[in-house]
Amino acid sequence: MAEEFFTREFDNGLTLVAQPMAQVSSSAITIALPAGASRDPADSAGSASTASLWLLRGAGDRDTRQINDVLDSLGCQHHEAAQSEHLLVSAAQLGRNLPKVLEVYADILGRPRLTDETFIPCRDLVAQILDGLEDEPMRNCHVLMREKFYPSPLGRNPLGTKESLSGLKPESLRKHLKNHLTPNGTIMAVAGNFDWKELSETVEKHFGDWNGPTPDEVSTSPAEQGATHITKDTAQVQITLAYPAATINDELNYAARITQMILCGGMGARLFTEVREKRALVYAVVARYHSLKDFAGLFVYAGTTPQRAQETLDVTVGELRRLAEGVGEDELARARTQLKSALIMQGESTSARADALAGDFFHLGRLRGLDEISAAIDAVTVQDVMEYVHAFPAENLTTLTIGPDKLQAPNPT
Amino acid sequence: MQFKQQTLPNGLTIIAEVNPSAASMAAGFFVRTGSRDESPTLPISGVSHFLEHMMFKGTDRRSPFDINREFDEMGAAYNAFTSEENTVYFGAVLPEFQNRVLDLLADMMRPALREDDFQTEKKVILEEIALYQDRPQFRLYEKIMASHFGEHPLSHSVLGTPESIQALKRDDMLDYFNRRYSPGNVTLVATGNLDWDALVDKASSSCGHWKAYSVSRDTPESLGTRQSDAIVDAKLLRQHIGTMSAGPGAQDERRYAACVLTTILGDVVGSRLFYALVEPAIAEEASCTYEPLDGTGIFVTFISADPDRASEAVKIARDEYDKFMVDGPTDQEMDAARNKIASAATIKGELPMGRLTALGFDWVYRQEYKPLADHIERIFAVTSEQVHELAKQCDLNATTTLTLGPNE
Repeated sequence: MAEEFFTREFDNGLTLVAQPMAQVSSSAITIALPAGASRDPADSAGSASTASLWLLRGAGDRDTRQINDVLDSLGCQHHEAAQSEHLLVSAAQLGRNLPKVLEVYADILGRPRLTDETFIPCRDLVAQILDGLEDEPMRNCHVLMREKFYPSPLGRNPLGTKESLSGLKPESLRKHLKNHLTPNGTIMAVAGNFDWKELSETVEKHFGDWNGPTPDEVSTSPAEQGATHITKDTAQVQITLAYPAATINDELNYAARITQMILCGGMGARLFTEVREKRALVYAVVARYHSLKDFAGLFVYAGTTPQRAQETLDVTVGELRRLAEGVGEDELARARTQLKSALIMQGESTSARADALAGDFFHLGRLRGLDEISAAIDAVTVQDVMEYVHAFPAENLTTLTIGPDKLQAPNPT
Repeated sequence: MQFKQQTLPNGLTIIAEVNPSAASMAAGFFVRTGSRDESPTLPISGVSHFLEHMMFKGTDRRSPFDINREFDEMGAAYNAFTSEENTVYFGAVLPEFQNRVLDLLADMMRPALREDDFQTEKKVILEEIALYQDRPQFRLYEKIMASHFGEHPLSHSVLGTPESIQALKRDDMLDYFNRRYSPGNVTLVATGNLDWDALVDKASSSCGHWKAYSVSRDTPESLGTRQSDAIVDAKLLRQHIGTMSAGPGAQDERRYAACVLTTILGDVVGSRLFYALVEPAIAEEASCTYEPLDGTGIFVTFISADPDRASEAVKIARDEYDKFMVDGPTDQEMDAARNKIASAATIKGELPMGRLTALGFDWVYRQEYKPLADHIERIFAVTSEQVHELAKQCDLNATTTLTLGPNE
């Protein structure tokens, strides 16, 4: 069945993008607000994370409990998260409840109460989540790696620091949100069971009078990168590596995704085969692709017991560099099939579709259909992959390890 | 949506929910075996899970690398998991690969168990055990299961210990396989856009020769030991607290009321624990969930708090449960819980992979097929009296308690 996409830009700067899906009864909303952690004031890291909780503590005519009650009674599964570029609000529910859920979110985003008394517990929760990260070295190393790898403040920990959180005040965060919880630059994506005309009218009715300024661009300073070791008495050494990759709006992006698949598309891909299957060095070894608007990276993770950590690091880096020696047609064919298959299967989930629509619009300013992406994946040749690997080589690796002992950093090639 | 079922002469049951409008299909072998079926008197703790890994290490026809490569060639989303009572091997693919993914999964179910692969994979298992040592909630869960169930077989660790894994021999594993993987103890489950006749044909040709033998499992009820323990780990910043109490089993009709009960008490947002602990930031995390098991069940409460507020958090949670056992739920809470559960089940059910486990476990535990709509109907039929009655019958505060963190 042919895919159908809709886009509408409202006068206040809000963009609504939508894709109806037959055969599902749910519909999912993803709202990407230009209030991500990278826009937190320099001395107030953790603002966006605190806001992601604070927004739900009463809005419009409803207090915290009434907000939860109304969303619960609509069967709305919702989630709020502070990412680097966006404050992300997502909700999934039965399609018939979509208009009522949107009405509630118009209050949450346009008329949040943001009272002094609800502020302190929200800030304290963020501080506790930050502490909890220390108890989970595997999660922690990913957060710390982004901080080292991406230019500041794009990579900084959305949870902030103990110091920044203790300095957060309700009045300054309210002021910050007034400038950043704004329709200008906000993308609202809807996928699933809905009628476009009705959706468009509902959004106009509830969000049409929402107003706010255009947030400033984020200015960045160069990333720290290099090698970092954090000494900690853990059972496994957490090893993370990162190096630059083509961004989503780069013409080499499809070659980047294929390269990631060749490294880590499945259990037959290079990293799993060499590090786990042949040498049994790890339980988990993965390479993930992550892209911000202007910077992207390939992030590699391996966890292993201390006595095998150096070998794990060396073998892993060796695999990243061996890409430059060539890739096989068979590997490329598997990577293509895996990418396309994943795309189709994700296309069955309304939440995954809504996220993808918001992502496409943010990165590309337009929506891509399945046919376009499939054709682009099929068009990637071995030569394209090699060009990509030479343009984005596994050199100048940013490394971060957590464990009892420091490892020897990979040699420069 | 159409339900199909057939049992082969050797006892292998095949079930499917056919949905021609889905974009993918999923298939899985559900083996009714797990750590509870491991003998406590033999050094085989962890064998179910280790065996699950070995099933990917090749057959008479395929090397380990062949298995991985073939899954990847189909673009499959595939994996396996082992719990206290089930071991499940599954793959989701585009419909054109139905026959191929079944050929592969079925072949894997009769593994070669080669000695050199066994020794290599042993190291991976030891790494997996180490990995979970760095995850406090997992450590806590494993230890509280052991503590709560005491002498009951559900106390057995899924991963085993480094010692039990080191001591395990390839022949012990083969022996376990030969006692648990009889076709009568296995169900082939499929969902999504699939061809039923082709599925049965493929299963007959690939699995029809599996030899049948009898397999059993004792399913005694457990009320739990109700003991309290603390594991002190000064390296941790947070106090991680778990409590466990007895609940209805997977075959008990009260399981629907149990789902509603735990949604009201301990859903991540909007529950009693949320308002009592998380909203005021006394605890960063507080949840209560219900797990139906074979012949028994558990209510599990997890709290993560600052060490100096941990005992206060536990007391508040206990007070909430006491209050609930006296007053029961409000109408508003009943309405919200039912809608939340129904909506979550619907969204999960829209994916063939999401439907696979629901369909498979309905069959494994109850030999029944229930369309999603029937489940949702049952949730809406739960009354506040049933929820209140269940909370009192089970006594939510008759708990086994375990804490992990810097506190004594």
